[in-house]
Amino acid sequence: MRDYYVMLGGFGSGKSELALNMAVNKAAAGDCMLVDLDVINPYFRSTERADVLEAAGVELISPPYSMKKIEIMSLSPRVYAAFAPGEGTVFFDVGGDHVGAVAIGQYKPNFMKLPPEKLNVLFVINPRRPVAADFESASALLEKIQGVSRLQVTGFVNNANLAEETVPEHLLEGYEVVKQLSEATGIPVWGTCGTQEILDGFEKIVAEKQLDERFIGRRYPIRILMHRSWDKFLTEGL
Amino acid sequence: MAKKLMKGCEAIAEAAIQAGCRYFFGYPITPQNDIPEYMSLRLPQVGGCFLQAESELAAINMVYGAAGAGARVMTSSSSPGISLKQEGISTAAAAELPCVVVNMMRGGPGLGNIQASQGDYFQATKGGGHGDYHVIVYAPSSIQEAVGMMAKAFDVADEYRIPVMILADGLIGQMMEPVDMDQVGEVHLREKPWAATGYVPGGKKPRAVINSLYIETEDLDVLVSRLEARYEVIRQKEPMIETYKTEGAEYILCAYGTVARVCKAAVRILEEKGVKVGLVRPITLWPFPYDKVREAIAQESVKEALTVEVSSGQMVEDIRLAVNGIKPVQFMGKGGSRIPSAEEIAERIMEMRRA
Repeated sequence: MRDYYVMLGGFGSGKSELALNMAVNKAAAGDCMLVDLDVINPYFRSTERADVLEAAGVELISPPYSMKKIEIMSLSPRVYAAFAPGEGTVFFDVGGDHVGAVAIGQYKPNFMKLPPEKLNVLFVINPRRPVAADFESASALLEKIQGVSRLQVTGFVNNANLAEETVPEHLLEGYEVVKQLSEATGIPVWGTCGTQEILDGFEKIVAEKQLDERFIGRRYPIRILMHRSWDKFLTEGL
Repeated sequence: MAKKLMKGCEAIAEAAIQAGCRYFFGYPITPQNDIPEYMSLRLPQVGGCFLQAESELAAINMVYGAAGAGARVMTSSSSPGISLKQEGISTAAAAELPCVVVNMMRGGPGLGNIQASQGDYFQATKGGGHGDYHVIVYAPSSIQEAVGMMAKAFDVADEYRIPVMILADGLIGQMMEPVDMDQVGEVHLREKPWAATGYVPGGKKPRAVINSLYIETEDLDVLVSRLEARYEVIRQKEPMIETYKTEGAEYILCAYGTVARVCKAAVRILEEKGVKVGLVRPITLWPFPYDKVREAIAQESVKEALTVEVSSGQMVEDIRLAVNGIKPVQFMGKGGSRIPSAEEIAERIMEMRRA
C-alpha cells in the first residue's frame, strides 16, 4: 500500500520545493511518484525539475504539454495510475491558492478509498508571502483551499523564507503562525522546513525561547531545487 | 514593513494600490496574469473595483471611462494585448486622461512566445497608436525599482494628464525577489476639476466634457498644440537615467530594464580584466534622456558604445540619435527572447577592443 502526500498552500509558499525534496529523498528508499497537478501557472512548477526527478528515479506525471511554452488546462489520465495498487510513496504537487487546488478536488473518490493513516495532506505556509502573511489570512486561505480541494488538511508545514535572504528568525515568524493555526483548528504541525544552516540557526532560537515542540514538528532539511534567483533566470529563462 | 517574497507582478499590483489605484480593468495574457489575479483579490479589500473585461479593447475603454471620472486607474497586459489596447491609449492621450498601463513584454511579433523580450520599445516610445501623441514610459530593471516607480507613475500621469506606461518584461513579472513594499514613494493625490463627475444644472462647476473628436481643423490644432507644449515641458523635466561607472570609461554599454542588470555584471567582469566600461541605463524611455546619454558617450576617453537589447535593435536608434555620429555605436541583441549572458557581453567588448 502506498503512502500519499498532498501539498496544498498559497502561491509561492514552497509546495513544489518540499515535494521535490521529499520525492528525491523517498526515491532512495523505494518506489516514488510525483504528480504535478499545477494547471494554472506555466512557470514555477515541479515539472521544471524533471531532470532532478529523473536522476533520482522518481516517476513524474505532468499535465500534458507542460513546459512546452503553451498552456492547456488539462490533466493527464495517467494521474489515476497513482491510485493503482503498489508500494512506495506518491506526492501530489497542487497549484497555488484555492484556484490551483481546484484541480485535485475531482480525485476525492480515490482519496476516500485510502486508509486515513496513508494520506497526508500538508498545508505549506510561508508568512513572508503576501497572501498567507498572518493567522487571519492563512486561516482564510486554509478554509478556501480545503473547500475546493475536498480534502482535510492533516498537517501544517512551517516554510517561512525570504529566498536567498532567509534568516532563522523567519522560521520563528512561521512558528507563530502555524502555532495559532494549529491551536485554532486542532490540526497538528507536521514539520518545519529550511536549509540545514537555517534549521541549525532556528534550533538556537528554539532553545533560547523554549518554543513548544508540538508546533515545530520534525525538522525537514531541504536543498534549494526550485527557487529561481536572478542568475538562474538568466541561464534558463522563465 | 518587513521585506516580503514577492513576484514582480504581485509587487507592481500592490504598489499601485498603495499609490492610490482603486480601479483595474484587464484581460488575461501570460506573463502578466498575476497582476489582474492579485488585483482581483486586493481591490475589493480596499474599496476598489476589479473587473475582468471581455477583451483588451473593452478593458482600455473602461480605463478611459474611469480616468475620465477622475479615478486612479490601471490596466496591464503583455505585448499582443498591448497592441490591442493602442487605439484606446491614443484616444486617452487625445482626451488628456491620466492612467497607468503596464506592459510585461513577451516575445513577438504576432503571438510570439511567453518568454521575456524587449521588442515593444518602438511601440511604447514612438506612438503605438495613431496620431501625434506620447505616453511617458518608465522601464524598471528590478522588482524593487518597479515598486518605487508606481507612485511616481500615477502622480506624473495626473500632473500632465497623460497616459503612463510601465514597460517591463516577463522576467520582472515572473521573478520572485525579496521586496521592501515600503518603498512605493510619496503619493500626491490632486484635485481633478476637469473630471466628468456629474453636471448639476445651475451649479458652480461647468459641464465637463471628455472628448477626442475635433472635426474642425482649427479645433484639432488647439488640442495638438496644447499637447505638444506639454510634451516639451515633459522632455525638459522628466527624463531619468542611471549612469554606472561611466566616468573615464573606455567603452559605454547602453541598456534598459532587466538587460541593464546583466550589463552591470558585464561591467564588473570587465573591470576585473582591467577594462574600464560604464553603463548608461535610460529609466524613462520617453522622454528619452538624450543629453545624459550623449554626455556619457561623448567623453574623450570613450572609444565606442555598445547597445544591448533583447530585440533586433530598437533603442539603439535613440542612442545613435543622442550621440549624433560623435562616436560609433554598435548593437548586440536579437529579436525573440534570447537574453545575452554577462560573459557574452563582456566577450563582445573584448572583441571590439581587439578590432
